[in-house]
Amino acid sequence: MSPEFSEKTKKKLEDIIAQYPQKKAALLPVLHVAQREFGRIAYEEEKTVAALLDIKPIEVREVVTFYSMFLREPVGKYHIQICSNLSCSILGAENLIEYLKEKLDIEVGETTADQKFTLTTVECLGACEHAPCMMVNFDYYGNLTQDKIDEILDKLE
Amino acid sequence: MNEKILSKLFDVEQAHKIDVYLEKDGYRAVRKALTDMNAEQILEEVKKASLRGRGGAGFPAGVKWGFVPKGVDKPKYLCVNADEGEPGTFKDKYIMSYNPHLLIEGIIITSYCVGIHQAYIYIRGEYENIALRLEQAIAEAVDKGYLGKNIIGSGFELNLFVHRGAGAYVCGEETALLESLEGKRGNPRLKPPFPASIGLFNCPTVINNVETLSNVPSIILNGADWFGQVGLPKDGGTRIFGVSGMVKKPGIYELPLGSSLKEIIFDYAGGMKEGKELKAVIPGGMSAPVLTADEIDIKMDFDSLVEAKSMLGSAAIIVIDKDTSMLDVLRLVTKFYAHESCGQCTPCRVGNNWIRKTVNRMAEGRGKKDDLDNILRLANNILGKTLCPLGDAAAMPIISIVQKFRQELESYIRN
Amino acid sequence: MVKIFIDDKPVEVEEGTTVFNAAETAGISIPHLCYHPAFAPEGTCRMCLVEIEGLPKLELACSTVVREGMKVFTKSEKVVEARRGVLEFLLADHPLDCPICDQAGDCKLQDYYEEYGLYDSHFIEVKEKRGKKTKLGPHLMHDQERCVLCRRCVRFLKEVTKTQEMGVFERGVHAEVNIHEGILVDNNYSGNLAELCPVGAITDTDFRFKTRSWFLDKENSICPHCSRGCNITIEHNTHFHRFPVPQRVYRVKSRFNPDVNGYWICDLGRYGYSYLDENRLDEIHVNNGISKLDWQGIAPLLAGKINRLRYMNKVSHIAVVLNTWLTNEELYLAKKIFFDDIRTDKIFFVDPPQGKADEILLTEDRTPNRRGAQEIGFERDSLDLETLSEKTDLLIIFGSFLAEKFSPAELKTHLDKIETTILLSSHTSELDALVDIALPVPTIAEKSGSLTNCNGIVQTFAPALEDCRDSCPEWRFLVDLGKEIGINFKFFSQFTSTQAILEEMGKEIAFFEMTND
Repeated sequence: MSPEFSEKTKKKLEDIIAQYPQKKAALLPVLHVAQREFGRIAYEEEKTVAALLDIKPIEVREVVTFYSMFLREPVGKYHIQICSNLSCSILGAENLIEYLKEKLDIEVGETTADQKFTLTTVECLGACEHAPCMMVNFDYYGNLTQDKIDEILDKLE
Repeated sequence: MNEKILSKLFDVEQAHKIDVYLEKDGYRAVRKALTDMNAEQILEEVKKASLRGRGGAGFPAGVKWGFVPKGVDKPKYLCVNADEGEPGTFKDKYIMSYNPHLLIEGIIITSYCVGIHQAYIYIRGEYENIALRLEQAIAEAVDKGYLGKNIIGSGFELNLFVHRGAGAYVCGEETALLESLEGKRGNPRLKPPFPASIGLFNCPTVINNVETLSNVPSIILNGADWFGQVGLPKDGGTRIFGVSGMVKKPGIYELPLGSSLKEIIFDYAGGMKEGKELKAVIPGGMSAPVLTADEIDIKMDFDSLVEAKSMLGSAAIIVIDKDTSMLDVLRLVTKFYAHESCGQCTPCRVGNNWIRKTVNRMAEGRGKKDDLDNILRLANNILGKTLCPLGDAAAMPIISIVQKFRQELESYIRN
Repeated sequence: MVKIFIDDKPVEVEEGTTVFNAAETAGISIPHLCYHPAFAPEGTCRMCLVEIEGLPKLELACSTVVREGMKVFTKSEKVVEARRGVLEFLLADHPLDCPICDQAGDCKLQDYYEEYGLYDSHFIEVKEKRGKKTKLGPHLMHDQERCVLCRRCVRFLKEVTKTQEMGVFERGVHAEVNIHEGILVDNNYSGNLAELCPVGAITDTDFRFKTRSWFLDKENSICPHCSRGCNITIEHNTHFHRFPVPQRVYRVKSRFNPDVNGYWICDLGRYGYSYLDENRLDEIHVNNGISKLDWQGIAPLLAGKINRLRYMNKVSHIAVVLNTWLTNEELYLAKKIFFDDIRTDKIFFVDPPQGKADEILLTEDRTPNRRGAQEIGFERDSLDLETLSEKTDLLIIFGSFLAEKFSPAELKTHLDKIETTILLSSHTSELDALVDIALPVPTIAEKSGSLTNCNGIVQTFAPALEDCRDSCPEWRFLVDLGKEIGINFKFFSQFTSTQAILEEMGKEIAFFEMTND
């Protein structure tokens, strides 16, 4: 069964679609909204989005699988995306990645059993002046140390 | 005494709010452009100012605008490149967060000059909070009559929207950005045709970086000559240098073009951290060929870096210390480009992954004698042979690291 | 016109021509994978890079447009090195499947490696793994590991069939071409993908493991399954039998014709070749105890019966059943004999039933020469068996379509009323036992002649396959019959070839005036 957008979301989507002369151009913004609402974009969600934009589900999948931020499976409540690029690595990011793996007892790409945390590594987040850094959902945290990470994760309910 | 053009208001409380911005001389450039100047005058001024693109390629903005054909019966578009994906780069984030109205002013004046009535800010998906701030700023501008129909009574109309990307470095390439904006995979397009004639939705399109456009208001207010004097005659204005890596004070530093790299690292950024020693510097974002510690006595401007066989790029300075292994650096570089390759064309798709595998094998201690020569050969088979500059962006740093740090890399290979 | 130099050879082409096409006109072939003339240039395989004097980088031949005075080099050191580089990349992740890959012998990677490669492999890493031998469609097999990401398949399904069953997923080296959610490529043009794929990533299941392409002889023909008249190549093997049952035809491929079918053929035509080898009538069958006949004796025998009926003023007792699988020449001769000379009014057409047309090539009409019959002047009345058999003493039936339309019992009832019935058919059917003489004739693939397609294009063709033993083409039979009847002996005597017949048609009917190309 293909999921439906809420009425409130539908209105928001209408406004987004109106920003473009072609419906398909709204695909990326719409997918962001869909991901927030449905938690992921798999086949059923592809059909919903495709119907909204008068395109085919295959076109939705082509786009979803191209962009790193679109998820085909849901993530935990807090998606920890830690930067593994150059400036962060110079300042010890790779050790912090190991620390997070140990602390959460999961591998990179996995979610904790209580569905609270998902850990992934990402490329440059554009916060190199605060390296090493990570993004939790859409919030940036920088100048990380093991202690800082403990502090941040403890605060997340 | 360094003239601050872009970061002037970064420390001013709430400068992202239009009321505060207006108090600080905000939107005076728009007023001047739309009431006292015409399109040709604006174009001339920007050309004379030698405003080079600040995204990475350094192409003169005025020349780019001039490529848009006149008299074509199609709408024209402006795409603001806020994808900021080049590793080491974090400058546009500041403009958009702390002075979004400066960017909006630049967008308005540019659109007015080229005859554009619809513009999109393509912002990387990770910058969600900044996208929200931009949307707020746009709403404020609409409210005060600086965007929308009949801007400040001039008759000029411009609609501006924020469009989020979704995690793809390649979408910073202008034609891939267009594809992404059209709701497709971010595959770069063949050029020609160039976006100036066939761009967004097949219409003439201008694509400029955030920092580039944010310089336009001051050029309008103070003139091209002033801009050239702040910077260099052929490379006007300032750059927001972003320093990261093993320095005491990583961060942004707005300085004139032609500033000394050594000064930026050792004076402004406080020099090496914790008593570390300098080994290498990447001067313009990860795509720029690396400089050894002996090569950093240069001026930071487009031509000087070309002469030094590197590039100014996004002016993102990454400082590497002697305790960081160049094999690790090479590994992180190849990992990045292999991950970000769109996969369209053979050399980049296969070559980057092949080099990545070789370097990983070396990093695991299973390197072989021929590996470095092979990497050079493969990188040269990518260089200049790909559909878009990402191939070159990958090959150039790889080649420079292998060539300049050959001895160190060889020491990791078991005989 | 623009004049350029390719490998120092002057070439003149029209403005707007690409370097690639300009080279082709000069007989210079440039290696390529993603380029296909049916689509706009892709520019992603990077095989067609050439050197252009004055330009710093190598440029793509497929998308670079010629400029006056341009100097192109297709075999300079830089170019050959770049080509080798691209090949090396493609082969790095390519599986060593040649021994089990049907593309072998027809494979661009093999060809280019032979011409530009021949290097020692430096690849010592682990190859990327992808899907292997998965079903892509009712006629197609997908070996993803062999894919070079030229995306011809994706473009075809988007631009030609507009069905978009395949797409490109993932990014970078993980990028792959695939179907979506298991929805197979199930349209009437799927077979074109196997032809389009420059390597063995998409292959024909019908052809899978049957033979090697270098054992096949390739001959031109016209597809007879509908009135489009698509140009085809029939690939057959008369020497090498792999199966217990000798198989002659192994596959049918499309042949480019810009006016008829473009680059494609439909699956109905592509996979409908079994009729060439199955259920063939290949011996003269004689019922009713007439002593053994051969083709020499048929025409005089029939002419004798016809003339006797004529002298008795019983021309209306002579009937003929034609069909629109017959060639222009055959229909013309039939008209001359039965309509002009004999003047019977019992000229009927029986054709296979119509089908559904698609918007691309396949027509409703499932016969190749209805237009030809029209232009020759036949009005095609539908047949009813009563009229056919009432007061008919001699019936000549062309083709066995009657057996598809009526039941054997019905046919027997009516055919028994007719004194002499003759059947000329390429295939066996229930009619064989119901007629007096059944004569084997070749299919379109085994004779020469011409057909008129639905848009009025007349296409001549020559035999692609050998005639089987005892058969004789209908046109030759009709020529002999015309001569034997004697009314216009001289007229029929001039027809020693189908070309001669077509020439004569051109003199009489304006439509068939052929301009010499």
